[in-house]
Amino acid sequence: MIDNRTELAPAQSRLTLRVNGAACEIAAPPSTRLLQVIREFIGLTGTKRSCEIGRCGACMVLVDGEPVNACLAMAYQVQGAEITTIEGIASGTELHPVQRAFLEEGGFQCGYCTPGMVLSVKALLDRSPDPSDEEVEEALSGNLCRCTGYGGIRRAVRRAIELGR
Amino acid sequence: MLLDRQGSGRRWRIRPDGPGKVTGGLAYLTDMAAPGMLIGLVLRSPHPHALILDIRTENAKRVPGVRAVLTHEDVPGLNAFGIARQDQPVFCFDRVRYVGDAVAAVAADTLEAAERALSLIEVDYAEQPVLDSPEKALAEGAPLLHPCGNELHRTDYRLGDPEQWFKACTVIVEETYVTPRQMHTYMETEGGLFVPEPDGRLTVYSPTQHGFMDRLQLSRVLGRPQSDIRVVSSPIGGSFGGKDELNVQPYGALLALAAGKPVKIHNSRKESVRAGLKRHPMVISMKTGADAEGRILAHRVKIVADTGPYATLGAEVLNFATEHVIGPYRIPNVDVDSVSVYTNNGMSGEFRGFGGNQAIFALEGQIDRIAGRLGIDPWELRRRNMRQPDDPGPLGQPIAPTEGAAQVWQALAESPLWRERSQGVPEDDREREHWIKTGIGAAYIMHGAGLGVGIPDPAGGRLVLAEDGKIEAVFGYEEFGQGLIATLELMMMETFGFEAEDVRIVIGDTDVVPDSGSSTASRATSMLWKSVQNMKGPFTESLLSAAADLTGNPADQLRLGPGGVYAMPEPDAASGNDAGSMLLSYAELASRTTEPIRAETAFHFPTTSSKRIGAHFLYTYSAVAAKVEVDTLTGRVRLLDQYHAVAAGPVMNPQGYLGQIEGGSSMALGWTLTEEALMAGGRYLTNNLDTYLIPTVAEHAGNVAVRPIEELPEGDAYGPRGIGEIGSVGLAPAIAAAVRDAVGVWVRKLPIDPRELQDIPHFARKAVLQHDR
Amino acid sequence: MAMERHERFSLPKVWKPRNVGEAWSLKRSFGSDAEYVAGGTLLRTWWEGEVAERPAHLIDIRSLPLLAGIRIAEEGGTGIGACTTLAEIRRSCGLAAEYPALPEAVLQIGAYSIRNVGTIGGNVASGIGDALPALLVYDAELLWFDGSEERIAISEWLERPEDCRRDRGKLLMQVRLPDRANAVETPTGGGNAPFSVYRKVGRREAFTPSVATVAISAGRTEDGRLERVRIAAGGGAAVPHRLYAAESLLEGKTPDPDLLPLIHEAVEETFRPKGDVFAGEEYRKRTAANLVAAELWKLSAGRQGKE
Repeated sequence: MIDNRTELAPAQSRLTLRVNGAACEIAAPPSTRLLQVIREFIGLTGTKRSCEIGRCGACMVLVDGEPVNACLAMAYQVQGAEITTIEGIASGTELHPVQRAFLEEGGFQCGYCTPGMVLSVKALLDRSPDPSDEEVEEALSGNLCRCTGYGGIRRAVRRAIELGR
Repeated sequence: MLLDRQGSGRRWRIRPDGPGKVTGGLAYLTDMAAPGMLIGLVLRSPHPHALILDIRTENAKRVPGVRAVLTHEDVPGLNAFGIARQDQPVFCFDRVRYVGDAVAAVAADTLEAAERALSLIEVDYAEQPVLDSPEKALAEGAPLLHPCGNELHRTDYRLGDPEQWFKACTVIVEETYVTPRQMHTYMETEGGLFVPEPDGRLTVYSPTQHGFMDRLQLSRVLGRPQSDIRVVSSPIGGSFGGKDELNVQPYGALLALAAGKPVKIHNSRKESVRAGLKRHPMVISMKTGADAEGRILAHRVKIVADTGPYATLGAEVLNFATEHVIGPYRIPNVDVDSVSVYTNNGMSGEFRGFGGNQAIFALEGQIDRIAGRLGIDPWELRRRNMRQPDDPGPLGQPIAPTEGAAQVWQALAESPLWRERSQGVPEDDREREHWIKTGIGAAYIMHGAGLGVGIPDPAGGRLVLAEDGKIEAVFGYEEFGQGLIATLELMMMETFGFEAEDVRIVIGDTDVVPDSGSSTASRATSMLWKSVQNMKGPFTESLLSAAADLTGNPADQLRLGPGGVYAMPEPDAASGNDAGSMLLSYAELASRTTEPIRAETAFHFPTTSSKRIGAHFLYTYSAVAAKVEVDTLTGRVRLLDQYHAVAAGPVMNPQGYLGQIEGGSSMALGWTLTEEALMAGGRYLTNNLDTYLIPTVAEHAGNVAVRPIEELPEGDAYGPRGIGEIGSVGLAPAIAAAVRDAVGVWVRKLPIDPRELQDIPHFARKAVLQHDR
Repeated sequence: MAMERHERFSLPKVWKPRNVGEAWSLKRSFGSDAEYVAGGTLLRTWWEGEVAERPAHLIDIRSLPLLAGIRIAEEGGTGIGACTTLAEIRRSCGLAAEYPALPEAVLQIGAYSIRNVGTIGGNVASGIGDALPALLVYDAELLWFDGSEERIAISEWLERPEDCRRDRGKLLMQVRLPDRANAVETPTGGGNAPFSVYRKVGRREAFTPSVATVAISAGRTEDGRLERVRIAAGGGAAVPHRLYAAESLLEGKTPDPDLLPLIHEAVEETFRPKGDVFAGEEYRKRTAANLVAAELWKLSAGRQGKE
């Protein structure tokens, strides 16, 4: 059944990807978590460490535009991908509309979940600019916030929808 | 009027710490790194209870890259910590009492080396019987966890003669309420960076709710003067009481000093669950009697709290619960007996609400049951028993009088949600899926602020015109998300007329701030306000007199304003521009004045004249209504709508106020429906957020209306009352009442077990009975 | 820091086989030291929860051509590659039209970001995934590779627990759904359209482990009788299975409310849930029975107009 007998070798510790538009080449073992690649190898600490099993969303990043928990993704799984972290969505000093909406509505308190939350909202509005409440819940139920009770977050999402119009 | 952005106008402001939070630019203390820093790890007990026979670290020390391996032998000072009572060993030496107990710590060049070293530390244990409940710990012949025994604290309160008066009651309700071990679940787990400085001092960058308390505790452990230690403690990724006690700080500090290099520690979630504090599980038994008119005549309470292996603030939490099981009601005959018991379960300690949550859930359950038994409207029953403005507090102590109790009662009675209850749910809504039942319930809360009688509760702060012309507001409070920085900024603007750019907030660094006391117990905003009030006159005067010296204008012709000092407008200036002209910017004033311009205040949180330890003086009142939906197919409860009336004096920061009530109620919702840090045999069964379930956005589909009641009695000197905790207190009993309204079941145990609310739908019953509940 | 400790200690090697045969050979040679990995989302929680030990080798199966995508099978029906993400299934219009209970089930697995990574193969191969009841009621088959291709009905596979063990080395390639005669279901199940439904009850409103899951599907004859009735239940650590006794009570019958007490009883008696500290067996049984009865009641009410 095996049609190709060439010896296989384990994947190399060489990760190439784009982070916030910049090409990166990193000597990270292939099963390193993306979270560690971003925080420790690249030094971007806006992506937060919290549960490390994909159950809180504090480390959410966009992989080719779609939200992915950086604690779950391993380096080899994002080989060649375009990663967007919270540091990569403002244009210069101009905040992204979703960031502005969170600021204006007070959609955060301690702020530790905020980078992941903002990225999940951004991805939602990119694919569905005027989402229903159900879509908002579907998109955000993987991002836990312990401070706000989500009231400010829901208001920020509504505000971001308005800003996007 | 309800609190929202629109109604708040210009007072709804962008938080000063907001841009850093939405851009990810703000570095939390666990995001920090230092060149050459080591990674620190703590070895914790694998057993809930065991004797330590031997600890061997030689192999660990030989691992390449390991710079320090520490045990109890390496603690230069006191090998113990605890805010109130120092009975928790930094490193255990003879016995481990829970699965989070620390036995050793390691610092190494890499995490890998630290992990390897940790795995090579050999500890010989002799396992002991596990006291995994207060009953076991109090049983005859149980092993003693501490020299003083297994009771951390016992307290009581007696008034009148309940036994005699129960005989006169028309109705007596007896019930036992059980509340769960709740996890704070701050999103940022414990951690920090510990840096030995070239001058021999130590800098600790690690979240806490009271930097000076950490400094004091660390100085005891390290055997060094406090002046040798600098604690930088903000910003914080959530705390809710959980980071007030020391957590990783002793280990980071000891390792950094031993290795002579910066050390970073950042707990994994699993380690945070294992070692960290939780809300006290309590079993509260109540017997409450009332006459035919619903006047409560007698109230007997027993509280048993599982405090876990060490004291931290367990005694204080118990005192708080003892006070709050009496609540906002005038009850002539009371008998409360409370005990907090050491066990081999997880650590219990400070948590938003501080024992009030458990107490009020039980108390409000009793009130609703009495109303149900007597056929009196539950809200009317509360009116008949409520404290009057000049009544003493729950423990008979004098308290600051307010109309809060009556105000929140009235607001709730008039709320749309409560009116909906009296009008009933339209039949149409009941038909579609008739296994879905809705109900509305309410709860009535009085919650104390400050640490109470007998506990040092200092407050104070400083205002300084800095060399660069910024007005520095310097306080020893912490920012863990509640919006303290934003509140202080707004307070400075509204009190003095500064603009935001004029002000620099300085907090969270023991080297530069005064000790303002802890950021706990719903006290920080009150104490900021009082401090600013105290300093308003002297600081204004010294700014204006310096400006007068420089400009030659008389001081009484000057005023403070945005950006600088202004001449008073001409009395007859009828033109639109009555702002006057700025004579001197604050920067000019700072650079040209020779005298330092500053004001300082130090005082004590107001306390009652009673001698009763822990009794409070300032209270916040709240009334909460909740509407729920119970799916009787599954027994699951959904929260549809909430209304909170809160009487806490003037709103200092609308966004922060709303956020505290909304966020607090979310914690209450989790406590009521989904959250329980389950343990068996002294071990956690919920080790991470895949099994420990806090509310998601989907839990919060319903509306939350917050109505602040701002009026205070004339001449009230205490200003805004605390609102940091009260949002987390009232929702659970309101939901329990709403569940009863929906399906007729009295809830006595949290989180609500869906099994108790489940029913076979009539169409699926063997003998089909056509009664719709 | 137990988690990271283990990870740094022995960060697994990653192998990227080029075809199914290579993947299978790697697994054969490493045995329980290796794990097939697509998204790895479930494995991560197992490693953390010490349900499974982190292996020394990960075999990346995402790029294997036969394991990707959703396509119409040659012999009719639909094939879903094992590495199809849950998000792809959720978005598939074809699946939504013909097998609506499956995307509905998938929508309730994990959270949005998890579904972007987690795959149907992982959900199925776990032996307890929440998609399984939906697959059971559609008579899905599994295509495995074990040196050669093997096809097995999912109901049969789930009844052979030894086959569910991950160390056996079998590689799940595809989930096959038989043709439902291009059934396009109307939302209310009105008329004679086939009917299927999925319900999950967890411990939280969203992003929750399941406590009980049920799925029902049936065809309908022109005179409104139900045929090919399938009812399945699962949830938590239970291996999902069909509820044959309840099915046979309905087979060939119109969905009559009088049947509901019997069906409720049959579900309670035959469902084999697994109790744990969060929910006992009795609660899970009753929940499954109530959900099945309520869905059938809705169906009967839909047929007869309001009760």
